Amino acid sequence: MNTDCVKDVIWWGNKILQPNGCSSLKIGPLLLQVSRYSQEWQISYEYDLDKVEDTNGWEYSANAKPNGALEKSARYVFQRTNDKFIIQPLLADRPVVSRPVTPIHLPVGEQITLYLSSPLWLTIKVGEPSTQLFEIPIHRPSDTWFGPSTVEGELCYASRTHGLLNLEELPQRSHRAITPVLIINQADSELLLERVSLPVPYLSLFGGINGSLWSEAITLVREEGGDMASLKIDKGPPTPVENSVLVCNPRKSSEKNSFYRALNTMFG
Amino acid sequence: MNEWWPYFVEFVTSDRVLSLIRAIFLVVLGLVVAKLTSIMLTRFTNKHLDTHQSMLIRRGSYYLLLGIFVVSAMKELGFNLSVLLGAAGILTVAIGFASQTSASNLISGLFLVVERPFTIGDVVRVGSTVGEILSIDLLSIKLRTFDNLYVRIPNESIIKSELTNLTRFPIRRIDLQLGVSYKETLSVVREILFDVADKNPLCLEEPKSLFIFKGFGESSLDIQFSIWVKRENFLELRNSISEEIKTAFDSNNIEIPFPHRTLYTGSATEAFPINIQDSQSAQSSK
Repeated sequence: MNTDCVKDVIWWGNKILQPNGCSSLKIGPLLLQVSRYSQEWQISYEYDLDKVEDTNGWEYSANAKPNGALEKSARYVFQRTNDKFIIQPLLADRPVVSRPVTPIHLPVGEQITLYLSSPLWLTIKVGEPSTQLFEIPIHRPSDTWFGPSTVEGELCYASRTHGLLNLEELPQRSHRAITPVLIINQADSELLLERVSLPVPYLSLFGGINGSLWSEAITLVREEGGDMASLKIDKGPPTPVENSVLVCNPRKSSEKNSFYRALNTMFG
Repeated sequence: MNEWWPYFVEFVTSDRVLSLIRAIFLVVLGLVVAKLTSIMLTRFTNKHLDTHQSMLIRRGSYYLLLGIFVVSAMKELGFNLSVLLGAAGILTVAIGFASQTSASNLISGLFLVVERPFTIGDVVRVGSTVGEILSIDLLSIKLRTFDNLYVRIPNESIIKSELTNLTRFPIRRIDLQLGVSYKETLSVVREILFDVADKNPLCLEEPKSLFIFKGFGESSLDIQFSIWVKRENFLELRNSISEEIKTAFDSNNIEIPFPHRTLYTGSATEAFPINIQDSQSAQSSK
């Protein structure tokens, strides 16, 4: 292991790189390498799919040995490069559909808070004012469709969840963000939770002091009859990480008072 | 010069010339009014209708208004309109009989515009032709096939026959036809296939993939494995999943059999006699 590995708490943020220097970041299945030259930035990366469920955190090295054999690479040319660059995490660019491994029943009048995770993207920015060079998912999640039929609906990303109700049981995965979801069943029938669609492009990202990443908490209220739920996105970081810092704004701004198809929607 | 002037003034102020001037003025006014009205209508319809319908309304309104002004101009010039209209009517019938196909195409085109089974940019299949729609015109539609050929299809044949719009819905299903050897266990094959689909990020998790046992084939167990994909990724997934299935089958020793034929000399007789030679004696006997 490279002796220059930085054992900080967080993998994102401002980084420094000298000319002809190379830094590398290993997080989840992604190996990312950023090299700086006097007039260009070179970014290379590849995925190791055996490490998708890796909960061992991440490794950042500010003085890595360049690896020319990485699968993909790109060059960004400038008149002059400066020594700072930013690695910033982002939430997914589509809603994320979480399916509990075991379906969850929510009786009439009950409410529950689930902690659902969603995959993270990362982006590299350079310069003053910062220019975004590059954006990739840390792990490319599977596509899925969420809607009442194959004709109507939207394309989302898929995620499986154990439907954890207890914060202590949450595994610490540096390449996923956590969203507390409060589900309230105000309808007159039991709610069978087979899938929940998180409106991830409308959420912000907050960084906790222990290096965890969270979005705002959301509340889904199942109204009388049907699968439509009114969605409310809380303002500010969620309760478990009240003192966290805003890391990234939402990709899209939300429309107020929108009814949102977030629950179930069976396929016929 | 002075001798000609009174004659000139008399000529210019005579009824016929005045009515000619009025007629010209009406035509010019008609051109201006028709142009302005069609521009205003286009601005309005562009927001509410698609480009094709908007173009139809623009042209229709332009020619209608221009026609009204031209007819007024002709009336001004002293033409007897009823005789003209009568002659035009007879001419229309004659032309109509001669141009039945074109008229049919024209009317079919109008119906297509109203019905909107496709728009410009959609990929459609008409008979055995598959292509992207370049334009929807009065008499025909124009396609660009994927090998970059230009195809003209009359509107009449589209109205009359079946048309498949490949890009109307956002997701599509890929149906893979597979055959595995009779010695394989179907539950194992099924598990392998679902695992391959699960690992491929382009394959949609929902709608769920389908494993359909189609029947006991001549040489293999016939299976259909259907997976869903975002329309734009159709080709990429079809290629990548086929490769991944083959790799998974190879690493799990699942055989995709060649067609088999079993030869019998008869139910109660012995098998064919076969003489096996090694390669050296085969060469020397040549």
